[in-house]
Amino acid sequence: MDQILVQTLHGLVNGMVLAMVASGLTLIFGIMDIVNFAHGDLLMLGAFVGASVVGVTGNYWLALLVAAVVIAILGALLQITTLRPLIGRDPLTTILATFGVSLVIQKYALWQWGPSVRRINEPVPGDFTLFHLQYPWYRIATAVLAGLIITGLWLFLKYGKYGIWIRATTQDRVMAQAMGIPVPLVYTGVFAIGSAMAAASGVLFGPFAGVTQTMGFDFTLRAFIVVVVGGMGNLAGSILASIFVSLLESYAAIVVSPAQAVIVSFVVLVLTMLFRPTGLFVPTPK
Amino acid sequence: MLILESVDAHYGKSHVLHGVSIEVRAGEVVGLLGRNGVGKTTTLKAIMGMARRTGGRITFEGRDLQGVPPHGLARLGIAWVPEERRIFRLLTVLENLRTGLDRPGITPAHRDALLEKVYAYFPILKERRHQAGGTLSGGEQQMLAIARAMMLEPKIILLDEPTEGLMPRMVAQIQEIVHALHRDGVAILLVEQNVPLTLDAAGRVYIMEKGAVRHHASAVELRADPRVIHEYLGV
Ligand SMILES: Nc1ncnc2c1ncn2[C@@H]1O[C@H](COP(=O)(O)OP(=O)(O)OP(=O)(O)O)[C@@H](O)[C@H]1O
Ligand SMILES: [Mg+2]
Repeated sequence: MDQILVQTLHGLVNGMVLAMVASGLTLIFGIMDIVNFAHGDLLMLGAFVGASVVGVTGNYWLALLVAAVVIAILGALLQITTLRPLIGRDPLTTILATFGVSLVIQKYALWQWGPSVRRINEPVPGDFTLFHLQYPWYRIATAVLAGLIITGLWLFLKYGKYGIWIRATTQDRVMAQAMGIPVPLVYTGVFAIGSAMAAASGVLFGPFAGVTQTMGFDFTLRAFIVVVVGGMGNLAGSILASIFVSLLESYAAIVVSPAQAVIVSFVVLVLTMLFRPTGLFVPTPK
Repeated sequence: MLILESVDAHYGKSHVLHGVSIEVRAGEVVGLLGRNGVGKTTTLKAIMGMARRTGGRITFEGRDLQGVPPHGLARLGIAWVPEERRIFRLLTVLENLRTGLDRPGITPAHRDALLEKVYAYFPILKERRHQAGGTLSGGEQQMLAIARAMMLEPKIILLDEPTEGLMPRMVAQIQEIVHALHRDGVAILLVEQNVPLTLDAAGRVYIMEKGAVRHHASAVELRADPRVIHEYLGV
């Protein structure tokens, strides 16, 4: 029983971080119809930037902010230079371009920071006792912060002027343009927001397992899975799917090893594709 | 104000517009009639830069629209009410209006005044302002599409078959709003199949056939001599 509670907490915390990664990915997919395979690598880059800022200043919260801003700018530049010229082409071309960007970022990180793991110290010290287990406060703080950031994104999309621009463009790009919405700029903005969310997730995740140059792909894959399971482009669906899949993985880890538990998410992915390709958490379209 | 000179347009390989020339002067309501598939919608899309223009010239207030990006037309004063209405279905009525209202440089007071003005024309939109656009009836969506265009305070509205598929009561309301816009000095290029409405609302009328303008006359002339209408439209 207590093991189930511990794993529930664990699943929720992981789910919140994953939700933050996935919300950027799903926002980009919803508006541009592309899967950004460099998403996890932007996360990794953000984590390294964060680790460097912590290294120099010792201030974790500053690192979180700097990483988000730096990667947002980088994301915007990436979008303008490599993706914007491809608008209107076969989506496959764009997806391949993001794949290329992913490889470039990975090699850059390897060259810049080397293959070893960099640690980020936990900004919130201390543990609390949960049954027989010491659970770090930091993880709770991470989940709460991720929840706040996602809520912030949601409020921005719901009420902000630019949020309405983003939603209108997502629904009907041509009509949005006719209404005077500068769609190319909206694309760049969304890419910047998605990149900032990825970078912030990277800095949040950093203290969990350290920062490595190869961590990006795993996140891209996991975020991609929950984006599909939640219904491509559906923000709420992706968030629910992140929590759902992370909880399932957590519970599976009770019976099998954590490495094997990852298989659960693939099973959910395949089942979703087979039986509900529009996503688990959206009403069936008419 | 808006001048199309021998405009050609293609969809892929098929040649849809053949040298269309149309002029709309400031504040004027101009009708564009023609049977199904003659290229009326394509003419509007050519203006909006959505159909591939392969010949001719389109100018607005003397400015060639060739180099204007698609989102730049609204700023110039051109609004489009498409045939399919294209309401942002998941946005509320108010959010739909805000897509045209949240422009750079607009003051909050002006913004509110504009909203109230449109709500006065379409009280039903005020009532339903927090409802998703997709849940409105066809007629309400048409009103929203027009109201949304009005948010841009355009100099001209390209209005594509606004009464298509509407109940008579709704048609009368659309007719009224066209008159009101005309009184406000907004020019309208009105694509219609409804001949009586067009002849009532428009000053001049162009009649298209097979991708070209075949006839051009004042509404007064056409009302006096319906043979032309009969010849091209079969009504
Ligand atoms: N997207 C498209 N691709 C290829 N052909 C098209 C496309 N849209 C329209 N057409 C063709 O172009 C011609 C003109 O179409 P258009 O929609 O401009 O006619 P319309 O006068 O607006 O007709 P309606 O009264 O039915 O709206 C038609 O023959 C139509 O089949
Ligand atoms: Mg048409």
